[in-house]
Amino acid sequence: MKKKVLSLILSTVMVAGLLVGCGGGSNGEGGNLAYNGTLELMHYSTSEESQGNGGSDGFRTMIAEWKEANPNITLEENVLANADYKTQIATLAAANDLPDVFLLQGMNTAAWAEQGLVLDMTDIIKDSPYYDDYNQSYFVPFTANEKIYALPALTGGTCTVVMYDKRIWGDTFPATWADVEAKAATLDVTPIAFGNGGQWQANSCFLSTLGDRYHGPEWFMSIVNKGGAKFTDAEFVAALAETQRLFNETDLFNEDFNTITNEDAREYYIDGSAAAFIGGNWDVSYVQATLAETNKDLYDNTGFAVLPQSADAKKQRNSQNIGLGYGIAINPKVAEDADKLAAAIDLAYKLTGPDFSNFVAANYALGGLTAASDVDWSKFDQWTIDFYNWSYVDTETCEIYDSYVSSAVWGVLNTNMQTMMNGDMTPEEVAKLTQEAYEANY
Amino acid sequence: MPNAIRPKNKVIFAYLALPVVWFVFAVFVPLITAFVYSFCEWKNGPTKTFNGIQNYIDLLNDSEFWLSFEHNIFLVAVCIVGQIGIAFILVLMINSRLVKLKGIHRTFGFFPSTVAAVSIGFIWKMIYDNKRGILNWFLVQIGREDLTQVWLNNEELVMLLVAIPLVWQWIGYYMVIILSAISSIDQEIFEVAEIDGANAFKRAIYIVLPLIKNTLLVCITLCIAGNMKAFDNIYVMTKGGPGTSSMVMAMYGYKTSFEYSNMGYGSTISVGIFVLSLLVIGGSQWLIGKMTKDKDV
Repeated sequence: MKKKVLSLILSTVMVAGLLVGCGGGSNGEGGNLAYNGTLELMHYSTSEESQGNGGSDGFRTMIAEWKEANPNITLEENVLANADYKTQIATLAAANDLPDVFLLQGMNTAAWAEQGLVLDMTDIIKDSPYYDDYNQSYFVPFTANEKIYALPALTGGTCTVVMYDKRIWGDTFPATWADVEAKAATLDVTPIAFGNGGQWQANSCFLSTLGDRYHGPEWFMSIVNKGGAKFTDAEFVAALAETQRLFNETDLFNEDFNTITNEDAREYYIDGSAAAFIGGNWDVSYVQATLAETNKDLYDNTGFAVLPQSADAKKQRNSQNIGLGYGIAINPKVAEDADKLAAAIDLAYKLTGPDFSNFVAANYALGGLTAASDVDWSKFDQWTIDFYNWSYVDTETCEIYDSYVSSAVWGVLNTNMQTMMNGDMTPEEVAKLTQEAYEANY
Repeated sequence: MPNAIRPKNKVIFAYLALPVVWFVFAVFVPLITAFVYSFCEWKNGPTKTFNGIQNYIDLLNDSEFWLSFEHNIFLVAVCIVGQIGIAFILVLMINSRLVKLKGIHRTFGFFPSTVAAVSIGFIWKMIYDNKRGILNWFLVQIGREDLTQVWLNNEELVMLLVAIPLVWQWIGYYMVIILSAISSIDQEIFEVAEIDGANAFKRAIYIVLPLIKNTLLVCITLCIAGNMKAFDNIYVMTKGGPGTSSMVMAMYGYKTSFEYSNMGYGSTISVGIFVLSLLVIGGSQWLIGKMTKDKDV
């Protein structure tokens, strides 16, 4: 009898506990998610990365807010630096052991979707309360077979921007390479600093935009969709040939461009030994933060420009490659538990929604997946306003090559392009090897 | 050991089981699984499909892999001469009666081998740096500005330039091994040789070398094994570049597996490295054995 009473009391306590738990989950204080348990999240917004980097700072802030709103869910974060993240997430994918929620790189979308590693989020995105605010073009890298597999995350930033010293180049940077070369001949400092020591920079921060000037968006989307375009096509080879000419046959760039990284090259601009620098938005935020403290004069006289146009390039001349390279994806295994899936979706909405966009717009004048509402421009200085306008208003956009296709293809291109830029390989050979890698791996 | 205090066989095996299991798990299991995976197409995700010996056919025709192998062999050659050769000469110098503070020489010589290869890579990258490097600075100081260049961008020289830090790092390590071997030689032999009129060079060639032959063989084996898997400092200094000019096998395997997400072919490369390393080590031992045998006769 005693046992029966005890078990009755225990059962009552347990049921009451459950009810309290549910109640806690459904009121506003504790979030409105039914899920109680752990949710894994893997990303690369480390605390070091978030110093001065708006996207990372916004991402971490959104995570903190979501955690606070959902105390019943334990968010297990695995945060790695970007290079380590790429290696580890690919290894976890190979082992079919991806975390519940993670950042999917655009170029992995098709292959991972085919192997069932990412949840089809097409309907989830359509059901999003923020659907109407989403910039639809950002979904392209995460779309395969007309299904969308991720919610584009972080900030839309350019990968190719020319930062130049207005005291040397004048208010406007020359619009053609011929003009750049003419002006460069009169300079006693390195005209343009560039670093390709990591081998990816010449692709992401140069060729991706220069190529667009030659082949236009249709050719590249044909490569992405396997529509018949080839890397050996004349327009792509012409872009490679122009890259080789500029780096190997002119004195426009620092002679050690192939051995130093973009981090080293931007120091040449900061210390005044180079009159301009070509890099990505991540370099802009670093140079901005450094110059603000060390060289106010250069800070006030730095301008932003698109790559100059080549004489034989026929397509749009005002383009720069911009986009959201990573998106929030969900492991299909999460869908086995409806409550857990709901929690994962809620997290994805939060990390890519208007809260994020408003945060990065208000604090860094950057844009995310949704358009930011009313930005108070009075709190930003000229540098920030200029870069915002340059990034989102005054320029045309083109695609970032390595947001698409496959790392195996870009790896071959990047490696051989480094040799080509030294003049030890022809553009035709590079194109042929890249096409072979494309046919074998994509 | 007296039987009274000797533990039972079961106890001995139980104690040994744990490290043996760990060893098997850490060494044999990866080796066997890599061998199995090397017959699969396994890229961009978890799906593995058996594709027979296709990966091995690809490997045989893969010019980048064989170029990497050539680079490894080059490293081995430079390092055998540079690491063991210089270490041998330094040991003879340290052992000389003229040299004082022998302990300090030994400690300082050994020091670089305790530094992480990645740090060594960064240090030497700074030395070779185009604008701020000490090498170009030195050339300017001696009036040979015409020789200054972007060292690590020189495709002809880059393998030698990445080998020099390896030589510098490991000289001390081989010095310690060779020193211990020489110290075990009876001093009377040297005294007798000296009385007989053998100079330092003759003593080194006709006494020291034959008596430490086996130790040198171990050194050469260690040197080959170490350089067949060279990776870290080259990765830091050049990432295999420019292009593939300083690509080595381990880096090619790493790039294929983790940067290109091609685990199947990456496994094939690993098996290739394993087999080629065995062949090179076995071949060198056979060659040295044969050469020294002829001398004995």
